[in-house]
Parts: sequence; C-alpha cells; structure tokens
Amino acid sequence: MVLTCPVARGRTTPHGREFGYSRRNLLRAGVLLALGGVAAPLTGCDPFDRGDDPDPAPDPLEPLAAEARELAARHRAALAADPGLAGLLTPIAEAHEAHAAELARLLGRATPTAAPSPDATGAGRASTLAGLREAEQGARRSAAKLCAEAPAERAALVGSIAAARATHVEALK
Amino acid sequence: MRHRRAPSPGPAGALADALAAEYAAVFAYGRIGVRLADAARSAARDAEAAHRARRDALVLQLSAAGDPVPADKAGYALPFPVTDAASALRLAVEVEERTAAFWRVALARTTGADRDRALAALTDCAVRATRWRRTAGVNPITVAFPGRPG
Repeated sequence: MVLTCPVARGRTTPHGREFGYSRRNLLRAGVLLALGGVAAPLTGCDPFDRGDDPDPAPDPLEPLAAEARELAARHRAALAADPGLAGLLTPIAEAHEAHAAELARLLGRATPTAAPSPDATGAGRASTLAGLREAEQGARRSAAKLCAEAPAERAALVGSIAAARATHVEALK
Repeated sequence: MRHRRAPSPGPAGALADALAAEYAAVFAYGRIGVRLADAARSAARDAEAAHRARRDALVLQLSAAGDPVPADKAGYALPFPVTDAASALRLAVEVEERTAAFWRVALARTTGADRDRALAALTDCAVRATRWRRTAGVNPITVAFPGRPG
C-alpha cells in the first residue's frame, strides 16, 4: 500500500490513467500482491488447493505393494499353466496377496487389480521355477533395502515381507 | 557400584531380548541334534553354529557398548518333550519361529547396521524354519509373515 501512492503521484503524464497507473489499479495490484504473498507459502502457489490432491507424492512402499501384486500374478499364472505346482505355489501366491493387502491397508488405498502376468504356458517346469526364484530373489533385495530405510513403525512389516521372499527362494529350490 | 539397568525400550533392550532368544535356541539345538541322523543332524549342527555366532556377536556388541548383557541359563523349558526325530523337527521349527519373532521386534527398535543385522537374523531364522518344515513334511513350508505372532 505504501508503495502505490508515491508511484501514482510521481506520474506526470496525462496518459497515466490510460496506461493503467491509476491509484485504483495500483491499489488492486497491491492487494493481489499481498494476497499472493500470503497465499503462496500456505498452499504451494495454488490458491485453489484444498489439500485433497488426488495424486499425492507416491509413498516409498508403493513399489513394494506393486511388486507383491506382480509376484502374486506371476505365481497364479504359473499355477494355471501347471496345476501340478499347486502345493508349492499356492501358499506363495497367497503370501504375496496377503502382503499386498497389508500394504494397501497401511497406505490407505484400495488394492488395484494385479496386472495380468505373461502366460507361462510352454515353459518347462524347471525354467518356470527358475524364473520365479529369480524374481523372488530380486524382490527380497528390494524389500530389504526398503526395510533399512523405513521408519520404525513400518520396519517390522517390511522386514517380514523381505524374509518371506527369502523363504520363497528357498521353497522354490 | 553401578546398578544393572532393566532392558530399555531402545536398541540395547531389543538386542538383549534377541540374545536371550539365541541362548535358548542354542540350548534347544543341543536336544534336537541328538534325535536326528544324517543330513538332518548335520543341518541341526549348522543351525546351532549359526545361533552361537549370533549369540557371540551380540555379547560382544552389548559389552563393548557398556549395555547390560543378560546371562545365559543352565537350562530352558522346552515347549514339549523331545523324544524322537519327529518331535525334534517340530521343536526345530518352533525354535526358529520364536527366535525370528525377537529379531522382528528388534527391527522396529534399531536403525542402520543394527537393523541390517536384525533383518539378516530374521531372514536366516525364517529360511531355516522353511527347511525344517520341509524335512518334517509339514505343509505349507512357508508362512506369509515370518516372525509375526499368530
């Protein structure tokens, strides 16, 4: 407000009003600036942000949940292709589904449908199991990394998931 | 004279609890091994050595930090009598599950290298429990949340 008056008075040209230098316009600009200055730090420069952004920053555990869903789908696909593996793979698929459900609860989000897994038909049993073992090994490493970085209240769950994946590697031997 | 502190809720308390579990595991494997033969006996010996190694590392770590080190006991109550190979295998599964539970608790109460070690211990216990279930013919051989009670 203080700034607007000297500027307006300082203008001597009769065209000042036409060019938008009127006191009213400058006052408006001052009000907008003042509003902007207050609003920006509170709302992240978006005056219409009400904190219900539908796309918040991804939680570090989102990839773990996605991995659990993918692994469940892979085991289910292998089971469909070779029902003789049911005794071995059903508990592992169920474990991944339980992990996905627990993580979804923690993240406060619905469990998305697992992406369809590539059809395992045609692959021999040995190569199917080797592929699953390799996937479990990689997944164990990613869970272990997340466990190391997790806050205390999440460490036990994430560590349990890492350990479960290690037991799947063992079971698939 | 310094009074011994009760186990704290911090990392030292969690590690002291894990140490007590490792003492009990070593004791139990002494009873398990003699009831097993061949590959299972050798697996029991390896498992006992692994628990001894964790026990020794914990004793060293806690004493070096000046934290209370729980004492080993002369004996530990077993959940059921070990009379044959079947009960020995059942106990081996249970020992690994119980020890895993202590390491899982330690995850939430540790950070950095301590947490890495706790996760390695939890994982080892879970994998051994899986192997013992397979040897014992228990199905399924895996559980969804190793170390979680219930």
